[in-house]
Amino acid sequence: MLEIKNLHVAVGGKEILKGLTLSIAAGKVHAIMGPNGSGKSTLSYVLAGRAGYEITQGSIRYNGEDLNTLAPEERAAKGVFLAMQYPVEIPGVTTLNFLKTALNAQHRARGEKELDAMSVLKFVRKKAAALKISEDMLKRALNVGFSGGEKKRLEILQMALFEPKLAILDETDSGLDIDAMKVVADGVNALRAPDRAMLVITHYQRLLNFIVPDRIHVLAGGRIVAEGGKELAHELEAKGYEHIAGKAA
Amino acid sequence: MNAIVPWIDARRAEAAERFRTLGLPHRRIENWKYTDLKSALSGANDSEPGAIVWSIASVPSGIELFDLADPENAPDWVKAHLGKAAMAEAMPAASLALARTGFALRIPKGASAAEIVRVGFSGTGHGRALIVLEEGASLTLVESRVAERGFSNIGTEIVIGANAHLTHIRSADAAPDAIQVEDVAIRVARDASYRAHLVNGGASLSRLNLRMTLKEPGANAKLSGVSVLGGKLHADVTTEIYHASRETQSTQLFKHVAGGQSHVVYQGKIIVAEGADKSDSRQTAKALLLGERAEADLKPELEIFADDVKCAHGAAVGDLDADSLFYLRARGIPEVEARNMLIRAFLEEAVAEIADDGIREAVWASVESALPGAMAS
Repeated sequence: MLEIKNLHVAVGGKEILKGLTLSIAAGKVHAIMGPNGSGKSTLSYVLAGRAGYEITQGSIRYNGEDLNTLAPEERAAKGVFLAMQYPVEIPGVTTLNFLKTALNAQHRARGEKELDAMSVLKFVRKKAAALKISEDMLKRALNVGFSGGEKKRLEILQMALFEPKLAILDETDSGLDIDAMKVVADGVNALRAPDRAMLVITHYQRLLNFIVPDRIHVLAGGRIVAEGGKELAHELEAKGYEHIAGKAA
Repeated sequence: MNAIVPWIDARRAEAAERFRTLGLPHRRIENWKYTDLKSALSGANDSEPGAIVWSIASVPSGIELFDLADPENAPDWVKAHLGKAAMAEAMPAASLALARTGFALRIPKGASAAEIVRVGFSGTGHGRALIVLEEGASLTLVESRVAERGFSNIGTEIVIGANAHLTHIRSADAAPDAIQVEDVAIRVARDASYRAHLVNGGASLSRLNLRMTLKEPGANAKLSGVSVLGGKLHADVTTEIYHASRETQSTQLFKHVAGGQSHVVYQGKIIVAEGADKSDSRQTAKALLLGERAEADLKPELEIFADDVKCAHGAAVGDLDADSLFYLRARGIPEVEARNMLIRAFLEEAVAEIADDGIREAVWASVESALPGAMAS
């Protein structure tokens, strides 16, 4: 589903990713672990199509298509979803209105029927309950005054509503206590599906106790320096990134 | 046609003298730095002076309407107030001296206008308006200005008696070929309130000057406004609020969007007089610049002569937040729609101040129609 080959990405003229290669098949959950500054967020942004992240070499293919030629909204309509590390607060836009606008924009782009306000509300309510998202949260301005846990839950709610083919979760565990992390992880696990691939990006091993990946890649200095099964997470936790990265180099 | 009417003739003569002394405002006068009326008028080609035409669709019962074209038959309440607040500045002095058209409205003591009163202004030249709310009266006034070519100068005086409440919505469509000046002078008495929502579509040059005195304890004012400008439009909202008495409150919230080569100006001066303790004043002005050649000048100003007061002010100019734009697009919302959403979100807080659903919807509709112009480069 996702094939990244020898990817070099520069931000503001500075090379951050330096030859990253990675592929994920449908139905699989991969994790990327890495220390701060290794290029984890750069990878998530370049996959979602953020401006200012320049691909200088290499390629990203998504279902055979060159992802780099698509605008962020086109990627979303084609099933790419990025749960962000820092979801933005937008005063003046209610959460429910945002969800409706986004959902219908994706439907429209795919030539599907748009949903009326009542259908959206029913759909959102159904998915929100499982994530402990209250009616009140939906009425409030998008992410404004939300706790860290509420923001991350809302990201997962969107994932549940948009039903993406490729979901990238960028530091979804950051700022969460263990209970909040469990709610989020349950939400993510419920969305595991044979036709859906996930890329879980995290600094810490603990999220991977709850979302158990099929494969782990260690990112350091803009490249994958180690790969392995789920047990690699524990090795990292025990020995630290320097040990692994040093061994690879 | 112009019969001798001593009371008005004397005031007009005084106003004419005042205007001669002050002269046409120009950019070297601090308060007109961003709005050079004199050079705009010297560049304009106005062969006919024209006349301001006003209209009021219907007057609810119990409200008195008087046509200022007939000063000879003016009732006492008109004579008592007309022009009293016109001498402080050049443009209201000019409209008092030169206007031959206009209206006066009186809401008698304790009366409450059941319906919204809608006033329209069109035409060019000078016009005057006087609105008097007697003790305990209330009124919602919607004033609209039709886009036309040429120069117009309207002077409005509003007198709000004790415990009276006025809601004033003023909207002006974009008028690229017009030079529009409007001066509104307001006096607010004990426990009375003035709420205004100012929607300024801009003009070749547009200046809305709002001068207010909160003269007795409990007098309060709440102003909000939005401008959405594109092309080469200009809109200047200048307010001056004088807290003359203790325990007076004022709040201001202005949101402006400027695209293309447009120019938006907000100047807000707050004066708290000596002894006006326990007064509270807040003002916020924000501008969103959508074009590299658009300009915003926001100037909050405080002059405080009392000791025990609360005053807060803030001004900020920015462009659309890149993180927010990316977030919306990453969720599938196309760029133009995402920008539109963010601009609306920026304005929301100021528009939400309008309590009446119908009026608020009408304001959104005018914002919506101005947005494509502001978003075009």
